[in-house]
Amino acid sequence: MASSMFDTLVRIDCTGRKGAAVSVGADLAPFIGGMGYGTKILVDEVDPGIDPLSENNKIVLTTGPLTGTTAPMFPQACIVTKSPLTGTILNCYAGGFLGAEIKFCGIDGVILEGRAPDWSLVLVEDGRVSFHDARPVMGKGTAETERYMKEQFGPEVKTLSIGRAGEKSVAMASIFSETRTFGRGGAGAVLGSKRIKGMAFRGTRAVDVADRKAFADVTARNIDVIKAACREEFNLVGMFSRAGTGAGMGLVNRRGALATKNHIYGVFPEGAEIDGWAYAKKYYTRAISCFGCPVHCGMLHKFKKRDNSDSWLRGPEYETMFSLGSELVNKDPVTLAEANQLCEDYGMDTLTVGVSIAWAFEMAEKGILKDPELSLAFGDSDSILGLIRKIGEREGLGDLLAGGPKVAAEKTGKGSIAAAMQVKNSGFAAWMPQMMKGVALAFATSNRGACHKRAPIGDEIMGRIDMDSYQGKAPLVREIQDTVNAIFTLVACRFHEFVAPKETYPQFLEAATGAKLTLEQFIRVGERIWNLERLFNIGAGMSRKDDNLPDRCFEPIKGEASKGASLNHEDFDKMLDEYYAVRGWTREGVPTPATLKRLGIG
Amino acid sequence: MGTAFRFDFEKCTECKRCMIGCSVEKTGLVQLLDSRITIERNWPELPEIRVCLFDACDGHPCIAACPVESISEKDGLVLIDAEACTGCEACIDACPFHAIRMRGEVAVKCDFCAGDPECVKACVTVAIAKGGA
Repeated sequence: MASSMFDTLVRIDCTGRKGAAVSVGADLAPFIGGMGYGTKILVDEVDPGIDPLSENNKIVLTTGPLTGTTAPMFPQACIVTKSPLTGTILNCYAGGFLGAEIKFCGIDGVILEGRAPDWSLVLVEDGRVSFHDARPVMGKGTAETERYMKEQFGPEVKTLSIGRAGEKSVAMASIFSETRTFGRGGAGAVLGSKRIKGMAFRGTRAVDVADRKAFADVTARNIDVIKAACREEFNLVGMFSRAGTGAGMGLVNRRGALATKNHIYGVFPEGAEIDGWAYAKKYYTRAISCFGCPVHCGMLHKFKKRDNSDSWLRGPEYETMFSLGSELVNKDPVTLAEANQLCEDYGMDTLTVGVSIAWAFEMAEKGILKDPELSLAFGDSDSILGLIRKIGEREGLGDLLAGGPKVAAEKTGKGSIAAAMQVKNSGFAAWMPQMMKGVALAFATSNRGACHKRAPIGDEIMGRIDMDSYQGKAPLVREIQDTVNAIFTLVACRFHEFVAPKETYPQFLEAATGAKLTLEQFIRVGERIWNLERLFNIGAGMSRKDDNLPDRCFEPIKGEASKGASLNHEDFDKMLDEYYAVRGWTREGVPTPATLKRLGIG
Repeated sequence: MGTAFRFDFEKCTECKRCMIGCSVEKTGLVQLLDSRITIERNWPELPEIRVCLFDACDGHPCIAACPVESISEKDGLVLIDAEACTGCEACIDACPFHAIRMRGEVAVKCDFCAGDPECVKACVTVAIAKGGA
């Protein structure tokens, strides 16, 4: 029977500079694809105790059963590896057109292993792998590296690349693909440790589905649902469609929940100068989509840089408006756009970079840190841009920050760890755990550190549930984590589930591959993955003590609109106990034998 | 009835649903190379589109270029007879809009889906519509 899955991966041996096709076996198939494949392969093949930048680490780059099909909002590709930032297992995602092109190669993904003898570019044409000299682009930014690969291999290839940060093992280095980013957790440093500067994919194979008629029907219904959401004034996805992911910043600000000045305040008075609507009003703006996506949340802006030269940027995205905007008390949209560009050029995660800089600015205010060239004052454009450069170059203070906020604070001492807004060394996303108790639990328990992709953000910020209450958050967070892990086996855009009925997923899956799963069974796959990740992290040395939040989260947010919201240790610990209980884990956060048996693990 | 599109490039988000829809209509499968319409990215400027633009095409040189007369025009539709096509690629070189490409052994181009083009139906933002004078 036809299927959208090719049941083939390519194992790329960087050390031997060659690739070989491997079939997807019966042990892997129940993990569906995407994050499921990535996690299963990594936990089976990689010892959790290894140094993430050693040649023993692997990068599993996958697509899912809906990638490269007509299904809307499934453009992304998934990377699973051991993170050099958090020391945990990592999954991260990039949209654009890379995912579909991997499928057009007639494969479901690749496994990168070993370490190339020399810096290389890897070309994957259909299933064939070739290694090429990366010397001409060493030291170059991500966009220039991609341009070079298109010149060398043909304009139609789809690429991924690292910048200087990935070359220099900066812990928050990302992998870029035409402005879309495998952002979180330092996957760029892992690719750099393999001496791979970039990869290009070009495929001539076509993607089929098991039941074309049924698939077309599910797609048509799903597109109608998405279009309807895009027409609604106060639907988040609709707002994203009109003004990008930064459209909702005003709403968050009004609720006193916009993390500002290293999470001290919950309101950024100048927020309206840097949000999605501000960019759309001030600059030429054009909406850009990922593969087959009707939402088109990407916003391309043309703007003049500080030196008055013409420039353009796809973004900034909402999370970056926080991390390089409100968190740094930066109200200048040009500085914000240039800071975003610098992170793209160096190939770094704007979130952990911004959070690390916010911490450094606060430490400078307290007289704990200083820099010979930069004032390190909140809101100072030169300091923001200068420090991003220094992180990317691992120069001076930047070298300290390049290890991540927790590592930097531990080296600095003097109580500075209390104000490092991180979990497991990964910088916070744009949300305030003090105010949103579900977000607090989600950040603390995420397998990849301070993760906003599996948090009840929509429910809490839109007021569907009481954001300030601890009640019921443990089972809710567990459900969201399992559900999101499940939809990431299909490599769904995270926003898809904001509007699509959950029944859509098993319907799509069956029409695409013939696999019949109930919604309940589908979500249990997500739970199984979650527990495999947890076991990996325990093997890497993590325990309950790592499921924690910085001290700042237990102090009231300043500013009237935030109403002094805070976490307290007793309630937080109780919520964590409850979470472990609903997961079927011990009080130390270890899955019990009964739980593992129920999930078919072990 | 003939091949007649209307484009509003400012509305094009480069999602390529037009290409995906075309590919599925013509082959049943998704492969952007099978699309008879091509959206080419040109950041930060507007995208370029490659498809048969009958009304804007002076003299339809693909027809004259074909050495085996496999290309013909009727009521504004320029069609390639796949049975007769020898795959010589002369039409590809002749087309001023780069709207013809090889798939397998034969040249293919937009046939306007018998008047109800899939690309138009697939476009979410109405960047591409059925046009005419």
